[in-house]
Amino acid sequence: MSDRDERSGQVPARATPQAAPTAGVGGPLGAAALVVYAIVALTGGLLLAFWWAPTADEMGGFAQKIFFYHVPIAETALVAFAVAFVAGIMYLARRDARYDRLGLVAVRLGLLFSALVMATGMIWGKAAWGVWWTWEPRLTTFLIACLLYCGYFVLRATVEDESRRATYAALFAIIAFVDVPLTFFATRLVPEGSQLHPVVVTTTGTGMDTAVLVPLLICMLGMTLLFAGLLRLGVATEALREELAVLKDRLER
Amino acid sequence: MDAGPAQDSAAAPEIVVEGLGKVFGRRDAVRDVSFTVERGGFLALFGPNGAGKTTVLRIVATLLAPSSGTVRVAGHDVSDDPDPVRRLVGLISHSPLLYRDLTAYENLRFYADMYGLDDREQRIAELLDRVELTHRRYDLVRTFSKGMLQRLAIARALLHRPRVLLLDEPHSGLDPHAVGILDSLLAEIRAEHTFVMVTHHLGKGLELASQVAIMDGGRLVFHQAAAVDERHFAAVYREHVREGV
Amino acid sequence: MSAVGRRQFRALLRKDVTSELRTKEMLVSMFLFAVLAMVVFHYAFSVRRDVDLTFFTGGMLWVTFIFGALLGLNRSFVHEKDEGCLDGLLLCPVDRVTIFFAKMAANLVFLGVIQLLTVPVFSVFFVTRGYWGDLGALLAVLVLADLGICALGTLLATISMNTRARDLLLPIVFLPLIVPLLVAATSATTAIFAQTATGDALWPRLAFLAGYDAVFLVVAWGTYDFAIGEG
Repeated sequence: MSDRDERSGQVPARATPQAAPTAGVGGPLGAAALVVYAIVALTGGLLLAFWWAPTADEMGGFAQKIFFYHVPIAETALVAFAVAFVAGIMYLARRDARYDRLGLVAVRLGLLFSALVMATGMIWGKAAWGVWWTWEPRLTTFLIACLLYCGYFVLRATVEDESRRATYAALFAIIAFVDVPLTFFATRLVPEGSQLHPVVVTTTGTGMDTAVLVPLLICMLGMTLLFAGLLRLGVATEALREELAVLKDRLER
Repeated sequence: MDAGPAQDSAAAPEIVVEGLGKVFGRRDAVRDVSFTVERGGFLALFGPNGAGKTTVLRIVATLLAPSSGTVRVAGHDVSDDPDPVRRLVGLISHSPLLYRDLTAYENLRFYADMYGLDDREQRIAELLDRVELTHRRYDLVRTFSKGMLQRLAIARALLHRPRVLLLDEPHSGLDPHAVGILDSLLAEIRAEHTFVMVTHHLGKGLELASQVAIMDGGRLVFHQAAAVDERHFAAVYREHVREGV
Repeated sequence: MSAVGRRQFRALLRKDVTSELRTKEMLVSMFLFAVLAMVVFHYAFSVRRDVDLTFFTGGMLWVTFIFGALLGLNRSFVHEKDEGCLDGLLLCPVDRVTIFFAKMAANLVFLGVIQLLTVPVFSVFFVTRGYWGDLGALLAVLVLADLGICALGTLLATISMNTRARDLLLPIVFLPLIVPLLVAATSATTAIFAQTATGDALWPRLAFLAGYDAVFLVVAWGTYDFAIGEG
C-alpha cells in the first residue's frame, strides 16, 4: 500500500477553513469605515468638550479637559483586555487559530491604550496638581496591567511550538484579566495619603453636568469605534501574515 | 474502575488507527495514516528521522491529541476516553522515565500507586526479579548504568500489566548485555501482548514483527501485514523512502 | 477526590518531598536566600542610626518570601523536565488536576518550612516588640498568602517549564499577577508587627487574600488540563 504522491503539490487538509484575509477591511462595518466614524465622533466630542463643557476647577482647571480622552481610553483598554479574555476562552474551547489572532491583536491594542492612559494621566497630574506620578488605585492598576500584558508578549516569544503558544497565550489572557480587578481592589486596601484622582462615578450616580456627560459619552463611543476598527484591521493583517507564512513554507518544501 | 477493553471479542483488532493527522502549528507531522494491529500482533515501524513515527506512537500512547482522524485502543478512543487506554498501554522509550533521586523500589512504588495496583508489593518484587535488579532495589537510580536503567524502565512499563506495549527505539544506546535482556524479555512476553515498535534497527524489528510499515514525510508509504525477509526489506526501504531529505 | 485520586495525590507528594529531602537543593537555597535578603535589607536601610524599620517589616518579609518562593516554584517540575519523566507522569491514568494539587501541596510544604525557619530570624533582626499575642493573626496571613502564591505559582510554573526561557519567564509573568496578594499580605503583616492590628485593619485584608486564593484555585482547576498537556 504505497503512496507515491507526496510531491503532487496537493494542499494538505487544514483543520479550519480560513475566511478571505482581507475580509473586514472594506464595507460599511469594515475597519476603514469604523475608523472614519471614530474620527468623526472623537473630533465632535472634543469640540464639545472645549466649547460647551464647563471648566471644573476642582478637577484641575483647564487641564481637566484631558479627562474627555483619558477616561474613554481607560475604558477601551479594559474592553480590549476583556476581548482577549473571551478570545482566550474561545480558543481553548474551539482550538481555532482565529481566536488566537483576535486575542493577540486585542492585547496589543490594550497595551497601547493602557500606556496612553498612563501618559494622559501623568500629563493631567502634572498640569493640574504638579505631580508626575501618584500611587493611587486606578493609575497603579494600569501600570500593573501594562507590565502584565508585556509578559504576554514575552510568553509568546518563548514558546516555539505554535499550537502550544496559542494555548498558553489564551491561558495567560484569562489569568491576567481576572487579576486586573483584583489589583484594583488591592490597591484600595492601602490608604493613600492624598487621593488625588478625582472620583467621577459614585454610587449615587454620575453627579455630572449634562454638558460634561454628553461630550464624554461621545468620546467614549468614538474611542470604542476606534478600537473596533483597529481590531478588525489588526486581525486582517495577522491573517494575511499567516497566509504568507504558509505559502513560504510550501515553497521551501 | 473497569480497566478492561470496551469490546472483548478476540477477533477485534487491538489498535485501530484511521485517517490520523497531526498538525503542529503550520507543520503537518502526520498525514492520513491508517493501520490496524490485531491482538497479539507486532507492528515494526521504520522510516527516516522526522517521518512522524514517534508522533504516531505518542498519539497512541495518549501523550498527544490527534488533529484529525481517530485512534482506538481495545475499542477506547484515545481522545474521548484516555484513562482506560492509559491502563492498557505501556511505553518503553529511549528515556527511561525514572526519577534519579529515588531508589528503584521507590520509583516502582510511585508508579504502582499512580496506576492503583492492589498487589503492589508483590508485583514490584516479581518484576524486579524478572529484570534481575532485585539486588539493587534500594539503590538510587542515579547510580545505575544505562543498561540497568533500561531494565528498570521495562519493569516500570510492565508494572500495570498493559496489554499493549509501545516501544520507541528501545535498543538505542544499550550495551550487549542489556540488549540481550531486553530481547529475551520481549521474546518471553511476545505472545501475551500487542506491540508497536519504532526502530532504526532493521534486524531486530523484522525478527519479531507480524506486520511491517514504513513512514516518510508524515505518510505511511509501505505497509505489509506479514513478516518480511531482511535482505528484501532493505531494498523495499530504499525504494520507498525519498533520498536526501 | 476519590480514593484512587487520594492515593495518587499522596504518591505524588511523597515522591516530591522524598526527592527534595534527599538532595535538599531547593530548601537550602531558599533558606540561604531568605537570610541573605534580610542582611541586604539591613544594610540597605541602615542609612541613619535612628531609623525605625517597624513600618517596613511587612514589606521586607514579603519581598523575601516572594522572591524566595520563585526559586522554589521554578523547580516545581525540575525532576520531570530535566530527567524527561513528564511522559511517565502523563501516561498514568491520573486526573491532571490531581497533579496540580499535589505539586501545589509540595510547594506549600517547602515554602512553609522556609517561613517557619526564617520568621524567627527575621523577628530577631528587625522586630522590636514581642508579638506572641498576635501569632494567630500572623499565621493566618502566612497561610492564606502561601496558598495564593503556590496556587498561582504552580499554574504558571507548569506553563513556563514548557517554554524556551523557563527560569526567566516565571518571574515576568508571576510578579505582576502576585501584586494584589503582595499588597494585602504586606499591609496585614505590617499592621501586626507595628501593633496597629485592629480588627478593622486585618479582616478586610484576610478576606481579600481568601478571595484571591479562591479565584486562582478555581482558574487553575478549570484550566490545568490545558496547561500541562502537550495538545
